[in-house]
Amino acid sequence: MTSTACDCPAFLKCDAQSLRSVEGSTPRILSKCIFSLEEETHDRPLRITYGWAHAAGLKEVRGEGDPTRNGICYFYPEETPLDKQDLLCGQLAGVGRCVSELSSSSVQTLRLRRCKFAIRMKEDFFWALGCSMEVPSDSVCELLDHLINLFCFYNGSVRQSYQLNSKESLAAEWARYLFHVLSGPSELHYILRSLRTIDLTNVDPLLLLKAALILQACQRCPLVLAGCVLFRGRAVSTQMPPQLTMKVMVHESKTYTKTQRLSEASPPSSDGGPVSSTAVFLTPSELQYLQAAPVDKTSRSHSTQEKDAPPKKTRLSRTLSDTPSSESEPSHPVSRQSPQKLSFSPHLSGSEDSVFSPVPSQSTADSPNPSPVSPVRPFSNGGNSHETVEKTLDESHYHSFHSSGDEVSQIHNEADGSVFEENLYLNGGGLGGDATCETSFEVRGADCGNDLLRDDQMAAGEVEVSCSKVRGHKAETKWPPPVSCAVDSLEESPLIPMMLYMHRVNSLVLALLVEPRFMSDTASMEEVNHSSLASLNGLEAHLRAISPAAPGAAGPYLFAHYDSIQSTLTTNVSGRPGGAPEHPFVRATSLLHSHFFDTETLQEAIIRSAGTAVYGTRTVAHETYFQQHGGSVRNSGIPNQQDSAFSLPSKARHRLLKHRVNLL
Amino acid sequence: MTARKSLLKVILLGDGGVGKSSIMNRYVTNKFDAHLFHTIGVEFLNKTLEVDGNQVTLQIWDTAGQERFRSLRTPFYRGSDCCLLTFSVDDNQSFLNLSNWKKEFIYYADVKEPENFPFVVLGNKVDVTERQVSSEEARLWCQENGDYPYFETSAKDATNVAVAFEEAVHRALAADDKADHLIPTDTVKLHRKPRSATACCS
Repeated sequence: MTSTACDCPAFLKCDAQSLRSVEGSTPRILSKCIFSLEEETHDRPLRITYGWAHAAGLKEVRGEGDPTRNGICYFYPEETPLDKQDLLCGQLAGVGRCVSELSSSSVQTLRLRRCKFAIRMKEDFFWALGCSMEVPSDSVCELLDHLINLFCFYNGSVRQSYQLNSKESLAAEWARYLFHVLSGPSELHYILRSLRTIDLTNVDPLLLLKAALILQACQRCPLVLAGCVLFRGRAVSTQMPPQLTMKVMVHESKTYTKTQRLSEASPPSSDGGPVSSTAVFLTPSELQYLQAAPVDKTSRSHSTQEKDAPPKKTRLSRTLSDTPSSESEPSHPVSRQSPQKLSFSPHLSGSEDSVFSPVPSQSTADSPNPSPVSPVRPFSNGGNSHETVEKTLDESHYHSFHSSGDEVSQIHNEADGSVFEENLYLNGGGLGGDATCETSFEVRGADCGNDLLRDDQMAAGEVEVSCSKVRGHKAETKWPPPVSCAVDSLEESPLIPMMLYMHRVNSLVLALLVEPRFMSDTASMEEVNHSSLASLNGLEAHLRAISPAAPGAAGPYLFAHYDSIQSTLTTNVSGRPGGAPEHPFVRATSLLHSHFFDTETLQEAIIRSAGTAVYGTRTVAHETYFQQHGGSVRNSGIPNQQDSAFSLPSKARHRLLKHRVNLL
Repeated sequence: MTARKSLLKVILLGDGGVGKSSIMNRYVTNKFDAHLFHTIGVEFLNKTLEVDGNQVTLQIWDTAGQERFRSLRTPFYRGSDCCLLTFSVDDNQSFLNLSNWKKEFIYYADVKEPENFPFVVLGNKVDVTERQVSSEEARLWCQENGDYPYFETSAKDATNVAVAFEEAVHRALAADDKADHLIPTDTVKLHRKPRSATACCS
């Protein structure tokens, strides 16, 4: 299969034998982390299933004849036979290394027949996460980055974690993060990675203000960096960037299920509430972000070293909508560190790798032992529907409107069945593809082993690899900067140990990122507790009293509105079982999102079949997708002014206003 | 396990800025913060007391005094055992509004017998030198409206705060006992502990 997703395509052919030899010739790949996608099932087009294998500290694999399996640290599904794990890991690692050496750029994604793998390689670690072809490449890459970042957030550097802990215990960690990532309410959440927030339709905005004020009150204690308020596993208010909030929520979901079980035994008490804490690790950029946000330090308590924190510009609120101003003073990460607190400076260990090197030798005397991580607790309410029927858009026509607006480039795609697979290769092929510098490779293996994922599919292994350099300008357009992308954790900088403090009041949780010594500072803990307890009790009572919005009929339309700055998704796609009519919409959204990601100048597009059409539009901050049900789509197959698809933009503008989505 | 364990809901009502939150904080945490933000909606704190040998959990609900928060606070009046009507002695308007607060409470709490419901009146901020409401005026109002107990408090210097809450607890328990006595003696008490039952669901 050819690829047009790059300016300079290159092709690579090798058979299974050569793949093996490639792998054998790369002794520097000591460890591997492979997520592979289990074979795609047809009841759910975008279902993501994984295999993740992680091979760390793999000295045994250095030699030519050493089995790959010794280096596999984690592979999902865990029951996969070792031979299969071996084969897949060997191939992916070999091809990945080979291609990155040939192209002098890191491999981002890799295609193996019907699967698409996001690849991350760093020193002697190798990760792969596979999913079906329909998931946009950037989404699967983000998913993999998110998993790695989650691991580092709770465990610190990968290398040290594997030095200190057994493979088995860390496998449980990986499984836990995978499960959390997979527990999204709908397939849309894989495509548009979003923070799960409370349903705002019935919530008085004053309650959001209340939550924000609780967080502000906690920040009066100088040891508190930032926090968020969560209700039933969803964010109410946060002072942290969305990516960091997502990480915090993983721990919350664990304690939530635990508390639910406990609350059956004893009635909940609202005095004190269960307070817990766990050790976490921030990247330098995360820390810088948190410290750069101006806090009203003049009102901070005088109990602890206030002089360490130079007063900065005050700001009334640091709620979700509050973005840091560019003219805020540069932060000094070291400035607030008291001498006894951190015994390293970012510059000293700057040459060390953040994720993979041991944690900076910080004195642990002033921080209590982190609570041991308990085994995976399945997130109970994250059901995935498996009973839906795949529907494909039989015939699709792709219209894209460039920013100029006048020109309409129309691409007819009369593929039968695999429309999306075809359309993926439209990316960049004339649609402003120069916006990204991506290289794609295709590898055809005459016979890459027997039964990789599915015997018949994999008999003639076909691999496509795409490499891309860092999309510099892509990152620039994001605001606030994505503080916890993969680049973050893979770049060379140490991780900074912090504590995650959680105060639960029934279904409500106050989560605070605090300096490690906060946990041993009774006065500070008391101060935070006193300033927040009554308000938390009240907020919990308010939120509990809100009747959940009636699910209701889906209405005559489907929509998804994604805020890429706050990472929030507003949609009426339920993701519930029996939501078969939603699948074409989800698939179209997936495709459009992919196009938007690859084509910087693309602002509006309509994708259609004979029966329906989906409209997509995006700005720097938002992506919106809309599909109108019912009504006959007049479609003659040629451009036609009477075509009802062309009225979609105005319909979307009109319909979405009541969802507080303004497309004007 | 004590003979009788119960949860008493006590609610603080009054104009914005009279010091309801400060009174609650002073009583429960014995702290005073001069820079509290407006309360939004409702908040509450629990305090366990021993009254006549019985363990009583006092749940003190603090409410937002501003008119714009009315819709947020009124749903939480229901189920109160005692209402603390609060005004500030240096703000005559807050005193004049006491009647309105009483009316609002009786309406939204759905009080069956308003004349028997235990209200306690607090005149806060007695530490302030420039008073607008005299002690006599306040006592007269209390006498005329149902013979409510009146306390002059200061959350800032902790004057009379604990005494006022203790009185509220006694009034609430007394009203509770009175209600119990109204039940004919030949009936079976199926709901001996209704409050602890509701607490489980919270």
